[in-house]
Amino acid sequence: MRKVTVTCIVCPSSCRVSVREGGEGLEISGHQCRRGLEHARNEVKNPMRMLTATIAVTGADFNLLPVISSAEIPKKMLIPCLRTVYGLRVQAPVKEGSVILRDVCGTGVDILAARTITRAPAG
Amino acid sequence: MREVHLDLAVIGGGPAGLAAALEARRQGLEKVAVIERDIELGGILQQCVHDGFGLHRFGRRMSGGQYAQAFIDEVEAGGIMTECRTMVLRVSGDKKIYAVSSHKGMTLYHCRAIILAMGCRERTRNQIFIYGARPSGVLTAGTVQRYINMEGYLPGKKAVILGSGDIGLIMARRMILEGMEVEGVYEVMAHPGGLTRNIVQCLEDYDIPLHLSTTVSQIHGQERLEGVSVARVDQQRRPVKESERYIPCDLLVLAVGLIPETELARGAGIKINPLSNGPEVDQDFATSVPGIFAAGNLVAVFDLVDYVSATGETAAKGAARYLENPKAAHPRAYRVNTGENVSLAVPQIVYEGQAAQDLSLFLRVKQPGPKAALICACAGRELSRKKERFVAPPEMLAAKVPAGTFIGADLLLEIKGE
Amino acid sequence: MDRESILKLVGNDGRFAACQVECSLSPDGIATVWGAADTWRQVVDIGHLVARQPDIVNVVNRLRARGIEIAPQDKSGAIAAARRLGVRAEADIVIIGGGICGCAIARALARYQARIILLEKNSDISEETTKANNGYIHAGHRAAPGTLKAKLNVEGNAMYDQWHEELNFPFLRCGQLNVARTEKDMRALEKNHADGIANKVPGIRLVSAQEAKELEPALEGEIVGALLVPSLAVVEPYSVCIALAENAVSNGVDLWLNCEVLAIDLDSSSRTEAVVTEKGLIKTGWVINCAGIYADEIAAMVDDQFFSLHPRRGGIAIFDKQVKPPYKRSVSVPAPAEQKDEESKGGGFSFTPDGNILAGPSALEVPDKEDKRVEAQDIDYAYSRGAAAYPGLRRQDIIAMYSGVRAADYKEDFIIAMSGKIDGFINVAGIQSPGLAAAPAIARMVEVIVKESRAGQNNPLRLRTDFNPHREKPVEFRHLSLEEQDRLIRRNPAYGRIVCRCEQISEGEILDTIRSPITPTTVDAVKRRVRAGMGRCQGGFCQPKVVEILARELGREWTEINLKGRHAYILARKSREEGL
Repeated sequence: MRKVTVTCIVCPSSCRVSVREGGEGLEISGHQCRRGLEHARNEVKNPMRMLTATIAVTGADFNLLPVISSAEIPKKMLIPCLRTVYGLRVQAPVKEGSVILRDVCGTGVDILAARTITRAPAG
Repeated sequence: MREVHLDLAVIGGGPAGLAAALEARRQGLEKVAVIERDIELGGILQQCVHDGFGLHRFGRRMSGGQYAQAFIDEVEAGGIMTECRTMVLRVSGDKKIYAVSSHKGMTLYHCRAIILAMGCRERTRNQIFIYGARPSGVLTAGTVQRYINMEGYLPGKKAVILGSGDIGLIMARRMILEGMEVEGVYEVMAHPGGLTRNIVQCLEDYDIPLHLSTTVSQIHGQERLEGVSVARVDQQRRPVKESERYIPCDLLVLAVGLIPETELARGAGIKINPLSNGPEVDQDFATSVPGIFAAGNLVAVFDLVDYVSATGETAAKGAARYLENPKAAHPRAYRVNTGENVSLAVPQIVYEGQAAQDLSLFLRVKQPGPKAALICACAGRELSRKKERFVAPPEMLAAKVPAGTFIGADLLLEIKGE
Repeated sequence: MDRESILKLVGNDGRFAACQVECSLSPDGIATVWGAADTWRQVVDIGHLVARQPDIVNVVNRLRARGIEIAPQDKSGAIAAARRLGVRAEADIVIIGGGICGCAIARALARYQARIILLEKNSDISEETTKANNGYIHAGHRAAPGTLKAKLNVEGNAMYDQWHEELNFPFLRCGQLNVARTEKDMRALEKNHADGIANKVPGIRLVSAQEAKELEPALEGEIVGALLVPSLAVVEPYSVCIALAENAVSNGVDLWLNCEVLAIDLDSSSRTEAVVTEKGLIKTGWVINCAGIYADEIAAMVDDQFFSLHPRRGGIAIFDKQVKPPYKRSVSVPAPAEQKDEESKGGGFSFTPDGNILAGPSALEVPDKEDKRVEAQDIDYAYSRGAAAYPGLRRQDIIAMYSGVRAADYKEDFIIAMSGKIDGFINVAGIQSPGLAAAPAIARMVEVIVKESRAGQNNPLRLRTDFNPHREKPVEFRHLSLEEQDRLIRRNPAYGRIVCRCEQISEGEILDTIRSPITPTTVDAVKRRVRAGMGRCQGGFCQPKVVEILARELGREWTEINLKGRHAYILARKSREEGL
């Protein structure tokens, strides 16, 4: 039996929600609302996070292009996905929202350019 | 000297300025320009690669650059003159702007109206009186963010963060994800300065401890930072010597608050409000100098970018109204006063009469607590009451005066426990 | 005075009851004390007590305070490495130390046909005591009549107009008004006045309360009277030092930065032969010791240490330019709780030529020569003095705090003389306040000492015909009119790129200074030359930009650009170089 406390982030109340994992599923207490209950369940069973990072870009005024995942990915996949993302390299110009990498590490989530970067004027 | 004639000049191409310029065009102003000192529009959003922007406005979680891009695309399509790499040196009370750029030299902008949207800057170690040696390796969070997210350099190996505001928390996670070590986050107040969401997803996810009521009391190291002393603080927020302990580290990140950049505003003779440290504004976000408006974090540090954009739009509507009849006399002015548990209110001035549309009043709570009511009252009469499950200083709150309400006296904003 | 009476004197003083003190006295009046005291304060007080006795020429103080251990650096390895490098250069004159004295002397001697090498252990000149004082060009009424300090202070002050004209550093002869709030204050000012008259301070006079208020209408509160000192001026001390050094280098002086002196070799007839540095040996006939707080240790290298330097720290607070100085002059008002340091007064309220209010420095004896910390007591003192003169001053408007250490000896006077033992070795030591004001006169005095020395008489220095005393005034974009700014940008677009938004410093100015006779290589070195990063954000916005410009112009990696010094790196590494 595992017991964890989840700090709820659904609203500013920041409830400390207790989750006990027993034989019969989850025993959740300390929440004040349905959304809090849902959140605590998700945080224990399959926590998800957005991935944001920067990758190398050439031919622009900047060295780095910010990228963002098209949806949340499993928290445990964050570091493996980042390792992959850090290896990416693109050439300017890049348009915001364009797909830089499809289906990162088999998560089904794409990595998108998080801004538009134009080509730097020559010289 | 190059001279340009404008209906409206917006100084600052960050979220407030971009929203203001777009709204000004929607209001029918013809010659609108955004003057930006950086090489591109977007302001500080461009170095905010993390997500969490735009939930209110766009209903999705965007990174800073995405939020900025949405506005930039519209500005570029919308017949707005953009003057990047242009640094405003002076704004005069008669609405002249002097600015320099390397490609155009000095430009004098003759403006019928101006919106100031220069944002804010970070407090430094000197402004919070951290004593000790003066080595390298002591940087503000924004500078660290610039080095890591824009330039691709790591300014240290092992960091201590002072200040648990959102910028400090976001940078804690970023440094971890870039392969640095983060020893902990220290907060002089008894409660965290940032959103719970960031405490959870930036600290707890990575086992970074948060030490409340604790501050950095000394900086050590002749050349490069070698370590810091941290100490618990007493009721007056002074470090308790006996509780001092030494932490070896080579980077101290300061996320200890933001101050509106009011230099140009002061130069134009605009009145500064002592509570917000920004220009004092009325319900249209007009400053004390006729025809000059202010928006965004210059007025008060809003934290939430959606609010910043909203103030830009309010200021633009105000500027458009002003330009219809610049000589129009204002009705009688009333103050927006801060009452129980309110540390700051924006705008500070409202006018007599029936509110033509809903009037947003921004306020910040002093002490955190559950189940509170935001009350806006006028001469003892309650104009609006809004229930909040929980109020905390990190989040700017918004109260409303509904359209049609008659304002005939000073307003009082209060936050009361239920 | 003899050894026994010195010991008796110390032994009978109740303050030193628990101290174990030993003493020796040389025939030429140098007292050496050693043993143990309980506190550093006692160590310093004993030194001063002995130094004040008749016939005592100076004091070497080897007393230790229990529990305070400043480990001496072992330089034997470095010396061996330096000797392996061999002789790297030959010079007529080697000057040790690139502070205000070293740079002033280098420039004074650059008039002559001589090979001069100026050595500085830091990565830039002006990086120690010189940069961290309040920039007063003192008038000379605070120095005791009859001291070398008093003489050189008054002479040096008068020479500043010419320096300013030739070297184009910011200079403001604003004068000073010393205000008395009480009769007791007034007695002190009358004493200062008498000293000023004795020292020949020009124009010094006592003024009535009414005249004081007419001179400075912003003065508030009860005033008994005041002392007007018209000749006091203010400068940015590092600007003076840099201007001197640039002019010296333009006139052929060789500046070696990052070059610490490790030892000095003498020939068989006790003449200086070579300076051993970390870059190798430099053969030379003259060595001029301008090593600031380390001048006693340099003197020890030629076995002629007849004085000890005790660091006296001074902390300074700089205020936001938005707070305008309310006075035309520097105004000194005694603070209610003035620091009671018998040998040294701290500074009060002043402003810089660029318009920042400045308060301090404090004055605190510290055991460690490297102790340049700023502590609460330093700023409490500085602020209290600032607020005494200008009650509207707010602590929250402080934008910068820093400390320096004064290089004080126990006689509390300047030591400027050829060594009595070593021919060719000239000490310029104990140069604390008013060293900045005295610097022109110090340089002139050293010039005479060199010329009149035995070597100088045997082989007289000849004046050069091509010496150029002028240093061009650097462009200061922020001080130009709008039309001038416009014209300048059209000539060179780099002046239109504002790098430091607080101080409005352009990239053009930074490029100018990088191409100046002494290339700055650190962010702080750029700051001292053009003010980028000196404003209210303290470099938060412009530091990355300055790093970029330095890296580009010097052909270095970003990670190789330091904040200051030789090891104060800013960036640890490029990101992604090590895996996650």
